[in-house]
Amino acid sequence: MKNNHIKHLYWRVGFGVLPNQLMELSEKSKAEIIDNLFKESKTYTPLTLNKDKIETLMLSFKENRMEIQKMSRQKIKTLNIAWVDRLSTTNQILREKMTLFWSNHFSCKDNNYIYTENFHNTLRKHALGNFKDFVNAVSKEAAMTKYLNTKQNKKKKPNENFARELMELFTLGVGHYTESDIKESARAFTGYSHNVNGDFLLKKQQHDTGLKTFFGETGSFTGEDIIDLILKKKQCAKYVCGKIYAYFVNTQINDAHVEQMAEVFYKDYNIANLMRFVLMSNWFYEDKNIGNKIKSPIEFLVGMKTTVPFQFKNKKRLLHIENVLGQVLFNPPNVAGWKGGKSWIDSNTIILRLKLPSLLLNDAYISKIEINSNTTNAERKAMLKKRNSKQYQTNTNWQVFQSNFKNVATQDLENYLLTCKINPEAAQYLSALKKESKREYCIQIMSLPEYQMC
Amino acid sequence: MDRRKFIKNSTLASSLFFVPSFVKAFEQVAINKLGYKRLVIVQLSGGNDGLNTVVPYRNDLYYKARPTLGIAKDQVIKLNDALGLHPSLTPLKRLYDDGHLSIINNVGYPNPIRSHFRSTDIWHTATDSNRYSQSGWIGRYLDNYAKSPHNAIEIGDSLSLAMKGERMNAIATQNPKMSFFMSRDPYFKRIHDHKNDAHLSEHNLGYLYKTMIAAESSAKYIHETSKTYTSKNQYPDNKFAKQLKTTARFINARLDTKVFYASLGGFDTHVNQKAKQKQLLGVYANSIAAFVDDLKANNTFKDTLILTFSEFGRRVKQNANVGTDHGTANNVFVIGGQLKKQGIYNNIASLSDLDDNGDIKFEIDFRTIYATVLNKWLEVDDAAVLNKSFNQLSFI
Repeated sequence: MKNNHIKHLYWRVGFGVLPNQLMELSEKSKAEIIDNLFKESKTYTPLTLNKDKIETLMLSFKENRMEIQKMSRQKIKTLNIAWVDRLSTTNQILREKMTLFWSNHFSCKDNNYIYTENFHNTLRKHALGNFKDFVNAVSKEAAMTKYLNTKQNKKKKPNENFARELMELFTLGVGHYTESDIKESARAFTGYSHNVNGDFLLKKQQHDTGLKTFFGETGSFTGEDIIDLILKKKQCAKYVCGKIYAYFVNTQINDAHVEQMAEVFYKDYNIANLMRFVLMSNWFYEDKNIGNKIKSPIEFLVGMKTTVPFQFKNKKRLLHIENVLGQVLFNPPNVAGWKGGKSWIDSNTIILRLKLPSLLLNDAYISKIEINSNTTNAERKAMLKKRNSKQYQTNTNWQVFQSNFKNVATQDLENYLLTCKINPEAAQYLSALKKESKREYCIQIMSLPEYQMC
Repeated sequence: MDRRKFIKNSTLASSLFFVPSFVKAFEQVAINKLGYKRLVIVQLSGGNDGLNTVVPYRNDLYYKARPTLGIAKDQVIKLNDALGLHPSLTPLKRLYDDGHLSIINNVGYPNPIRSHFRSTDIWHTATDSNRYSQSGWIGRYLDNYAKSPHNAIEIGDSLSLAMKGERMNAIATQNPKMSFFMSRDPYFKRIHDHKNDAHLSEHNLGYLYKTMIAAESSAKYIHETSKTYTSKNQYPDNKFAKQLKTTARFINARLDTKVFYASLGGFDTHVNQKAKQKQLLGVYANSIAAFVDDLKANNTFKDTLILTFSEFGRRVKQNANVGTDHGTANNVFVIGGQLKKQGIYNNIASLSDLDDNGDIKFEIDFRTIYATVLNKWLEVDDAAVLNKSFNQLSFI
């Protein structure tokens, strides 16, 4: 497989590829490489923290409410940090990247740690599985029944929130159902609830067993029946494939490609088969699909971390950086999730993104040589202040970088760190740089707008 | 042409030569101003307890529902024979007396949600409570009417949803000097010195370059315009006052910014509310008073409108921890020099006719306030921004 295709593949299903890995893979065929990606992600490794204390507290839920909330807030932060660590070190990259995708598709958040962790691992478990099982599992997660009020959905007083978003955002997209379909299907999800541990519980006395008319069919449908009926519509396969295409291939949708994907997906709703079809297709590797995606904040941070391992001195500063970049894991803005694409970038985030590699990895200097000759005193002072501010202080392991890139010539570094073509003017500027140190040149490349693309 | 003039003209010409035409077009914006009226939005995050902010001190039901949390009659700063302010709001009494404060009571929305996240979202996006939107009301104002992101500024590290549009986002800045220096690394300058316009048209990468140039341009504009002015007024020493001080600096330097956003958090008072709310309202009122004085001293108060809201009010009945739980309708403060309806805009809702949860029923949809501000103050088509037409109120 060609180097730039491997790089493209690994950026889309992961967070980039290191030189030695690239060299090894370039000997293999596309089918072998893709087989291997699926093989590595075959098993499912839940991400968990020690829950002893919080589980004990939850035995007396009412009395300990405040303390549970407080502990949950802390633990959700820790889980965030743990996930980012895993993303940058795992070999199950496909499963993890899919989990990241689904966490934005089945957008949900909760203030209870146990329910948050359960929900998160349900995403991971079904990430490459069967979509029908997936939707059913999500509909029964404690976090979801809380988030979209299925818990308050009762026979005598239905709450339509979950039914509406199930169709609008999770399966069909706007305009493929009527208001009456929402009302009727909401009745099918009445009584959905959970026990203290977060296990699903159908409250029989709250569940409406009566006849419902949904998509023109009448029956005493349950929630599972409704999901069956939704998935029978080919629009569901099309809608989900469109989202996968926008995330993994190109935000500018090619209808013919999505149509092909939907054909594959509709057969059995097997997510792994769909992904294999996408990654094996020729169009996935067309030039116009390479290096044209704006990295999400997580892709940007984890990508940097993969190249140059770093840890915040104060680990929780990671959440601050996620926040200012606009993507805090486990805390999507709303049920529609992050908009992605161009919406990641505005006047505020672009400057921070361009500065972040130098702030985190190189004492705020993009180039020490340039700084000394071209800055005013005030600017130097301001930069020093930035450098000393605790929020950007990290432990950076440049040795790992030096050893991984040992066989890469400094002037070739850009071929490993960038996926998109550098525009001729920037390339001209880069070629004029002195390239005295590999480390400094790495920072300079990471400070280019081109590095924001994958 | 004399020599001086010649040098001046030639430097101007040569420097323009090196600026990409995109940036030049961008800087033209300053000429095409949006008008001079300004809106300052203040969010009290966490859900401020409105009932202890504007107190119905003659209402027995109030003291019955809050036996240990109610504000005693003799401590209330009386506004009329029914309502009075929390003692920490003494500085606002002066504004009230001068006709610079309008208090709108019972503000909320149909089918209220008692979650912080969702209710904040609803206030920010101005959508119905069962709808979601990825853009905020000020963001959509920018989409429709702004020429540059700095037409709206949030004083902070990151942007609230209210300030994000479909196509344009506001600027978030804590410290304009720092933002300016951040954007001015000599390395960036070199990169786009080497840039030609053809490249800017490229899809996503072109968008990054364009945004980078626009961001530098805005950071430079904000820094260079605002550094001409330093406030002579004293502000309290806290973060919120600092946000308002920066806002005053931007306003008094006549920055071309129509909307400012500041926030004060910590109002989620489930436990021991008295001390916490006393402290927070004190911070709020003293900072606002210093801000108004600063604007008055620079003759900008008459063209400024300050809107204070919180995502929800709190339960009428106090809870077991001498605090209050999440509620619904709340009061909104409007402060300005050109108010049409001064003082108490409407009476507080009945405390005997509560909803199923024991919360105050809303009377005024908050979006009618937004519509009024958009239409009568910012002088734009409110329906285009709110995607719906709402009644106008008469406070301005």
